[in-house]
Amino acid sequence: MGRMKFLCDAERCIECNGCVTACKNEHEVPWGVNRRRVVTMNDGVPGERSISVACMHCSDAPCMAVCPTDCFYKTEDGVVLHDKDKCIGCGYCFYACPFGAPQFPNGPAAFGARGKMDKCTFCAGGPEETGSAAEYEKYGSNRLAQGKLPLCAEMCSTKALIAGDADVVANIFRERVLRRGTGAEVWGWDAAYGGGERKQERKQERKREGQS
Amino acid sequence: MSTGKLKSIALATLAGAALLGLSACSEVPQVTVYEQGQYRGKTDARPWEGGEFKGDRAAWEKALKERSRGQNEYNRIQ
Amino acid sequence: MTTHAMRGQRGGWLAVLLLALMLWATALPLQAAAPQHGSTAAEQAERQVERPLNNAPVWRAVRSGEEHFTLSRSPEAGVLIQSEGNTWRQLRNGPVTLYGGWLLILVPSAILLFWLVKGTMKLHGQKTGRKMLRFSAFERFVHWGTAISFLLLAVTGVAILFGKHVLLPLIGHGGLGLLLNAGKLVHNYVGPLFGVFVVLMFFAFLRDNVWRPIDAQWIRRAGGLLDGSHVPSGRFNFGEKTWFWFGVTFLGLTVAISGLIMDFPNLGDWSRADMQTANIVHAIGAILMLGLAFGHIYMGTLGAEGAYESMKTGYVDETWAREHHEQWYHDVKAGKSGHP
Repeated sequence: MGRMKFLCDAERCIECNGCVTACKNEHEVPWGVNRRRVVTMNDGVPGERSISVACMHCSDAPCMAVCPTDCFYKTEDGVVLHDKDKCIGCGYCFYACPFGAPQFPNGPAAFGARGKMDKCTFCAGGPEETGSAAEYEKYGSNRLAQGKLPLCAEMCSTKALIAGDADVVANIFRERVLRRGTGAEVWGWDAAYGGGERKQERKQERKREGQS
Repeated sequence: MSTGKLKSIALATLAGAALLGLSACSEVPQVTVYEQGQYRGKTDARPWEGGEFKGDRAAWEKALKERSRGQNEYNRIQ
Repeated sequence: MTTHAMRGQRGGWLAVLLLALMLWATALPLQAAAPQHGSTAAEQAERQVERPLNNAPVWRAVRSGEEHFTLSRSPEAGVLIQSEGNTWRQLRNGPVTLYGGWLLILVPSAILLFWLVKGTMKLHGQKTGRKMLRFSAFERFVHWGTAISFLLLAVTGVAILFGKHVLLPLIGHGGLGLLLNAGKLVHNYVGPLFGVFVVLMFFAFLRDNVWRPIDAQWIRRAGGLLDGSHVPSGRFNFGEKTWFWFGVTFLGLTVAISGLIMDFPNLGDWSRADMQTANIVHAIGAILMLGLAFGHIYMGTLGAEGAYESMKTGYVDETWAREHHEQWYHDVKAGKSGHP
């Protein structure tokens, strides 16, 4: 088995927040914790795009590098997991993570202390015994051990969010881009460097309008 | 306490501190490839070991691959 | 110098210290990088007409570190990619850990070597048996309050930064996890107490630590530390004053303020960048302070005979006073308060 990956197709994501809800329900995550979230760029404007984001299970994970207790580990499938028994709630992983994946429960508690860090597990549970109640309580359900993929991706209604082995995910996305009709040209010379003439024309048009 | 005794205590402390400091040079690997037994304190069953697959790695990989392919709706239309 | 003018001078020094503190924090690259602005909505809309399915403006916006729209209420959930985290990681895991670690090994080693060569500074004259009050009960309370809280914070703080490299091979993940769980609690709760003691310390010892013309002698002769010559000084010598101003006041306040920012993540409206800056400032300040504290602890215990007794009991022998703080000795003998 290779490398587990998430991929979010910005062309397809419709910001339904279904993945967020599915994740919360599947793992019964604590209040105030969002293992997954959907972020929308240029909301409400033509051309708006949404992206669903969670832990990206980095190869060189910054959270692993800065954790004072070294509580993180990486599985053979490239999933970044952590041991909540060793987490001290210092928040360093949250400082370091580019994606804002680590979350801390009981936010405004006494003296604003953080609880144990919680994050996306790629539905792979944690170091507790697979399928045990303790694992479910701390890390949520272990779908990977049941031969299933993360629920957020599996239930995505537009299949914008894909999860699984990097090779398979890449193949699905490649086929999709090819079939998108106009999509293929997105990667070509015209897409990257064409369109300039039209842009120039419009600029001159605006200029003329401004003068008249 | 005599000065000689103090000096020997100080030397022992110095040696201890040097030893402790040097042990930091033994680089702790941030294991990317998960190796069972090598990474103590964080023992975790691999996904195919516990639960339904009972150690049958090939079956687990097959099941997961099927599921991954299932995400491609073009496969389902055909 | 009139009292009024002196007060103005003290205020000036404090202002300079605080300014230096602020400049230091803002000089870090964490805050310096102003977010590069990504796409405007108009740019993306235009691109969709020109070249449909080309989302370059969106990806620029993703990378820019701006806050976008999201339903999540977590802190800074609207930011998709923050780059400062990597800068912070490189600083903390790189120079701070490396040079900080070396400093914490080399400074005590150098002090120990110095002691092995030079030995304890003994009194030259005979003890008179007559005692003088050097530290009042309040001053000793403030000193030991600061000292004990500082040591607790130093041990736990050093464990948080270096425990992974030093303790992990010895006690394993389980042991380190347990230790740091307790250590972080101690660090979080003793921290504010230390801040209070630093402020008390500042006011308790301020008037005796203002620089005087007599300090010039101490500087010229390096405190007599190397040649063992006798240097007259007031209640505190220049070395002690340096420790007071740079060690306790500047570094103490730096560490206390940056620590409070990290201690109360939800009280202030701190961003991740603020936390990262606070963490780096805290680590550098604390390591420097610890390095100076090694020197202070050495002088107060092994380094000079009778120094530890003075802070333990509050009293010193008259011979000790004459040999270490001559001006102060004469002032007290002449019936003055001993304060400059």
